[in-house]
Amino acid sequence: MNVSREDLTEPLRLASVSRSFDSLEVLRDMSLEVRRGEFVAIVGPSGCGKTTLLNLLSGFDRPTSGTVTRTGSTRMVYQQDGLFPWLTVRENIEMGLRHVQDNAERMRQLAEMFDLINLHGFAEHYPHQLSGGMRQRVELARALAGETDIMLLDEPFSALDYLTRLRMREELARLLETRPRTVVLVTHDIEEAAQLADRIIVLTERPACIRMELRLTVPRPRSPVQAEVVDAVQRILAELGLENETDDRLVRANIN
Amino acid sequence: MFRSSTARFVLMALAFISVLTVLRFKPWQRFATGNTAVTNSTKSREQLGVGFLPVTCHLTCPVTDYATRTSTATRFESQRFTDFPTVVESIKSGRLQATFLLAPLAMKLREQGVPVKIVYLGHRDGSTVMVRQDLAAESLRDLRGKVFAIPSRASNQNLVIHKLMEDQGIREDEIRFVELPPPDMPGALAAKAIDAYFVGEPHAAKAELDGTGRVLHHAKDIWPGFISCVLVVHEDLIRDRPEVVRDLVRGIAESGEWAEQHRLDAAKLSAPYFRQNERVVRHVLTQPPDRVSYRMLTPTDEDLQQIHDMALKIGILERPVPIAEVVDRQFIPQEIKPANIDMQAAKDANN
Amino acid sequence: MFLIVVLWGVLSALTVFPSSLFPSPLDVVRGFLEEIQSGRLLDDIIASLFRVCTGFAIAAGAGVPLGLVLGHRARFRQALLPLVNFFRSLSPLAWIPFAILWFGIGDLPAIFLIFMASFFPIVLATTAAVASIPTIYFRVAEDYGLGGSQLLREVTLPAILPQVITALRVTAGLAWVVVVAAEMIAGRDGLGFAIWDARNGLRMDLLVVGMIVIGAIGVVVDRLLVRLMLLPSVRWGYER
Repeated sequence: MNVSREDLTEPLRLASVSRSFDSLEVLRDMSLEVRRGEFVAIVGPSGCGKTTLLNLLSGFDRPTSGTVTRTGSTRMVYQQDGLFPWLTVRENIEMGLRHVQDNAERMRQLAEMFDLINLHGFAEHYPHQLSGGMRQRVELARALAGETDIMLLDEPFSALDYLTRLRMREELARLLETRPRTVVLVTHDIEEAAQLADRIIVLTERPACIRMELRLTVPRPRSPVQAEVVDAVQRILAELGLENETDDRLVRANIN
Repeated sequence: MFRSSTARFVLMALAFISVLTVLRFKPWQRFATGNTAVTNSTKSREQLGVGFLPVTCHLTCPVTDYATRTSTATRFESQRFTDFPTVVESIKSGRLQATFLLAPLAMKLREQGVPVKIVYLGHRDGSTVMVRQDLAAESLRDLRGKVFAIPSRASNQNLVIHKLMEDQGIREDEIRFVELPPPDMPGALAAKAIDAYFVGEPHAAKAELDGTGRVLHHAKDIWPGFISCVLVVHEDLIRDRPEVVRDLVRGIAESGEWAEQHRLDAAKLSAPYFRQNERVVRHVLTQPPDRVSYRMLTPTDEDLQQIHDMALKIGILERPVPIAEVVDRQFIPQEIKPANIDMQAAKDANN
Repeated sequence: MFLIVVLWGVLSALTVFPSSLFPSPLDVVRGFLEEIQSGRLLDDIIASLFRVCTGFAIAAGAGVPLGLVLGHRARFRQALLPLVNFFRSLSPLAWIPFAILWFGIGDLPAIFLIFMASFFPIVLATTAAVASIPTIYFRVAEDYGLGGSQLLREVTLPAILPQVITALRVTAGLAWVVVVAAEMIAGRDGLGFAIWDARNGLRMDLLVVGMIVIGAIGVVVDRLLVRLMLLPSVRWGYER
């Protein structure tokens, strides 16, 4: 194989990966590379294996065949509550700063995280005392704190109401502005993908493989009604056969 | 956060238990009394725990305890139990070497290979057949079809009642027998759950004083010289400390003689040991005075053989046990003088 | 509470039951004073508390670690859980003969019986608590580099703590219930012994004194353990 030096430093790389559970084939021959600092969103019909893909990327699961390469440290943000309920907001975020040895430096970074997520005054609250949106913000802060290379987001906003979700997307875009990370976002929310990602990967039904790739170059944060975002959403919906108003052939032409 | 609060809790719990331990064992008392003459003298004296239950059949045990508090001979410490199974288990495990025990139960132990000997009796008579106040029963025959409570199948009360039934021509199934713990009998009689019961005092007197029961027979009238409980010691004790056994038997004998001569004082002295109402104990010892006797405490072969035969017949014993194996009369004193008891000191001690 | 006392007073005043078998509230108050003056009541309380606390502490100290092992290791769990359930079903009273055989008379057999009553429920509750920790916590812990003893101290223990506290509360009540039976063989003191003794001594007033004191201490002990549930780091477990 001819692999260039630059390719080797790509933080995430799937090479012909398949994954089956007993007789159930979930992923088939998938290859994917994520570049440093890139934001990749993975969308697809529910139950198509998005979470399996994420588990493979995080190292929690191993492929049946093919290889997964990961360079750098990884943190995952979960759709359910991944915060430790027995720790306060401050202590939870400090989890993300465990490897910062210097006390003063840790305090400084902690204060910075609180500035970012704008939750001053809630430092000594426990997760169960916060709203869902606040908890997601804390979880993002915990994952972003310290020096992680890769962030894997598993439908992080799915439990939130629409308005909160909009706000959280903006928040995430802003946070990534100040702390660039390599991000893989798994979501069933196409609008979310279109608002946040540099590249959107649409998966097929199970066994999943890549059905379509879409690149967006407009800078973040993007509004949900921005032309590029709307366009991307329409193209994905059409690809999935869910958009009736658009002419099929026209959409195909656009993609190509 | 977690570590500190949990650690604090564990520390608090440990501190609490330590405080309790200190309060429980009161080391300062041990230290304080360690210097007094009393402890020094007890230390040099032989000591033995003797088991008893708070029934008047065992009255000589606390009296002996009291009498040997100050005497120079062996110190006998009465150890109160609440039921016979616990007594038996304590003997079997070797933690109790001398005790008062139901006579058939002592033979049963022997049959099971537990080397115990009957060395003396603790009393004669002192059991009573009670019937419900409102029942017009004059004899056992009138109790046909009634519910009759006994303390245990292995009690001599059970044996004697069966012997009487046989003598009077009453069939086994004509009276419905139930086993009840003696303390529950007066209550059961009052609630009319049972119609009659046969038990060691003071559990009969209780119903009499309450007015819920009436004496049908005193044991002395239906079975003169009735034995409920005997003094039992382990053979190990006889082998290792024969002098202590001799002291014990003499102590019991002299306590019995003293109780015979000072019935009111005996009630007063033993009530705190029994933790019973003095009035009830006094009633047993005086109404009538020969309701229970603490004389003639030497077990004869005839006494024991009768109990043995009845036990065998009813099936409490599975095979014959030679009486000579069960009894050991070598420690019984020739001459019995009343124990030397200072009632004034008893009063002081109780106040 | 007040109503119960009134009903009790009326029942005894009407002498529905013989007064020596059914003591009046006044008899019990007198019995109380008698027991306090003689100092027996305090001694009995201390003796019982000592036995219950010691037996319970040993049960908790051994039961929680065993529960942690069983919760984490499926193979141990399969092997030992039926055994735990077996022993849990046995009434501690059935152990009395063996308690005497192994420990004689006094504090030790009572502590042993209280241990037997509380140990198995604690093991079971801890096992269940560990087995029900959401795996997400362990994945998060791995992401953030927690392993070994840190994982135990900072994830497993705090995650099961709310359930363990509830279990301790329930079991403490159980241990306290067993004290009456356990002290049947206590020899000479303890609240349970006082009850047996009062029964043998035909002193129903003292028996009721014992009942009241045992009940009251049970309430106080529970109040104390409830305070544990107010710790900020376990509140989450009770607010869902």
